[in-house]
Amino acid sequence: MINSLKMSFKIDMTYAINSFIYSLKKIPIFKDLFPGDNLYKSKKAKSIIRVLGLILSSARMILYKIIYFWVIYVLATLLTPKDISAGILHIYFIFTIIGMFFNNKVLTTSTKKYFSIVLFNMDAKKYMKAMLWQEILTNLISHSIGLWILIQNPIIFLFTIFGFLGRIIGERLNVWHYTKYKISLTYNYPFYWTVILLSGLVALLPRIGIIITSPIITIIDIIFLPIAILSYIGLMKIDNYKLIFKRLNTKVRALNSNQSREYSRQAMIDIKEKDKKIDEKKLKGKKGYDLFNTIFFERHKEILLRSAKWFASISLLVIVGVGILVMINPILQKNLNKFLLNNIAWFVIIMYFINRGAIITQAMFYNCDHSMLTFNFYRNPKVILNVFKTRVLTVSKVNLIPASVIAIGLPILLYITGGTPNSIDYISIPIFIITLSIFFSIHYLVIYYLFQPYDKNMKMKSIAYSLISALTYLIAYSLTDFKMSTTLFSIIAIIATVAYSIIALIIVYKKAPQTFKIK
Amino acid sequence: MKLVIKNLTKNYGNKEVLKEIDFTFEEGKIYGLIGRNGAGKTTFFNCLNEDVEVDSGRFILSDEYGENELKTEDIGYVISTPTVPEFLTAKEFLSFFLEINKDKIKDKKTIEEYFDLVKINKEDQDKLLKEYSHGMKNKMQMLINIIANPKVLLLDEPLTSLDVVVQEEMKQLLKSIKKDHILIFSTHILELALDLCDEIVILNNKQIELVEKNNLNTKKYKDKIIKMLKDEEHDK
Repeated sequence: MINSLKMSFKIDMTYAINSFIYSLKKIPIFKDLFPGDNLYKSKKAKSIIRVLGLILSSARMILYKIIYFWVIYVLATLLTPKDISAGILHIYFIFTIIGMFFNNKVLTTSTKKYFSIVLFNMDAKKYMKAMLWQEILTNLISHSIGLWILIQNPIIFLFTIFGFLGRIIGERLNVWHYTKYKISLTYNYPFYWTVILLSGLVALLPRIGIIITSPIITIIDIIFLPIAILSYIGLMKIDNYKLIFKRLNTKVRALNSNQSREYSRQAMIDIKEKDKKIDEKKLKGKKGYDLFNTIFFERHKEILLRSAKWFASISLLVIVGVGILVMINPILQKNLNKFLLNNIAWFVIIMYFINRGAIITQAMFYNCDHSMLTFNFYRNPKVILNVFKTRVLTVSKVNLIPASVIAIGLPILLYITGGTPNSIDYISIPIFIITLSIFFSIHYLVIYYLFQPYDKNMKMKSIAYSLISALTYLIAYSLTDFKMSTTLFSIIAIIATVAYSIIALIIVYKKAPQTFKIK
Repeated sequence: MKLVIKNLTKNYGNKEVLKEIDFTFEEGKIYGLIGRNGAGKTTFFNCLNEDVEVDSGRFILSDEYGENELKTEDIGYVISTPTVPEFLTAKEFLSFFLEINKDKIKDKKTIEEYFDLVKINKEDQDKLLKEYSHGMKNKMQMLINIIANPKVLLLDEPLTSLDVVVQEEMKQLLKSIKKDHILIFSTHILELALDLCDEIVILNNKQIELVEKNNLNTKKYKDKIIKMLKDEEHDK
């Protein structure tokens, strides 16, 4: 087991070091400094990079743990402001339960696992054991340290032992589920949501005075101990880990082969089995490019609509949830009202994240334009603009699904939190949200048509496209700090986004016939 | 040594891809598995390699000592699109492989000797596999499969996209190792199969069938194979 761990670590490190050298050599000055493949075979250079790599990876691990405990701490201050220590342990308990079922190590697929087990032919069971122990021991130690820093009470060890035992039980449950149903527990959605929902309810227990205390966790530990031992024995009794890993990692193989792009394209098509058949009525009377576009969007309905509907539902849930909370908590009511009247700029980044423009244009390229652009007739300016027009309309419609929920929800929230001195807000906020949604829809399509960023192998090639995408995010992000009255901001934003959209559309109409081609 | 396939059936949903296949492959021969596009050649290999679950069927390895179920370690699988850890150099890849499998490898050679076997020059050995061409990656994939020395080696169209020189090198390599192995080589290029393989089997209409050569010359044999592929119903 120790040998497997050492070997796996050695391969990982070499892989990381080579990746680093490879990236370094992409920079012109280093390319000239270290010509050829000398750096890859230089043991001295590699040992220096190895030390650096070790420091960096340890720092990264520590950082992740700090973030983990910081989140727990912040949640505890909200949940149990009077007794933060108790809240921390309560939330740690919930996180551990969720991690126990869904953060499994044995069945996760990864390139690393594929290479180790299938390609390097490592003993799958020893490998599994090594990975499992590495994970649970690292967690036991780091969580003990983390909780000790926060609480400094021996009671924390009862919780970290619970985490330790829980992980073993969780791993066993996952392997059992996989051998019985051929899918990992993580993909058992009814179970997943049940655990999440129950965890959410347990999280609320401190509100009614119930909290996970040391007697409770001691009892749970005592119950968990024999179950964990039996689970571990069960895990060790299974001999066909190689087969399990092989089957689970077949997709990883595909993703790492030269087929990867073909595969990802295939995966996008595979998702929408139910979209393969199109309702004939929807195509009736359509001809030419109108028919072509309808077929494209009908075939991609699932991709296009699924996340839009998902965001719409989440937005609705959040709005209703916040609505209920503000009605029972006057402080929250006041704060939210203040926020809505002064920080509406926050919704720029929210709408940025909700917008599906980037994914939709990717689907367009992978599943349609990539092959269609090789035909002359498809590159005809009239055709390009015609297809563009239809796409703008459809993408905007898709993005309007979640946008309209927010556009209706925000004025209602504003009203129930105490209203606004400027009644115009009730109109300007919804218009602002809708124009923002249309703006993002147009924006992604415009930069896609102007910079068409992919080459014939579907690799991202355009620096300009990447820069503009990054800039879009940066602007949206920086606006979260921007304080201006909602009335003024929403009106300025409406004018700016409408102006941008008009100018962008004019540019596309003039330039796209020249720019929209395979690189 | 023989690989006996008994009653192999594989369906994808309602689609029957392989149906009640019974066939025996023998040691010391290269079998050319021919089939039209979509006939199920890769599915057949995936079943043998246990990458997918079969609906029914057994795979048995039999020799003078008896019969055993085919095990994962008995099989090597060279896929048409080679998968290698791209951020390792060829030398590192090989060294790690040799170190991990040191107890399993018989007649261990030096790294240099292994590279000679697949004709990879010294100056290419310290290159990242990411920078290797398709053919070179394929050579590496073939090499580790040869070192692992499985009893059955499945080759899924491994030579199709190689240049003529590499193709010839690989053919010679396969011929040199066939003695103690069962090699099953899938391709849809008939000429390649006729040139390299000792036996031709066709996968058609969900079944595997040996094409007897009898006393036919190459031209007549080829015509016979094409006729068999055309005549029967095939699965598209």
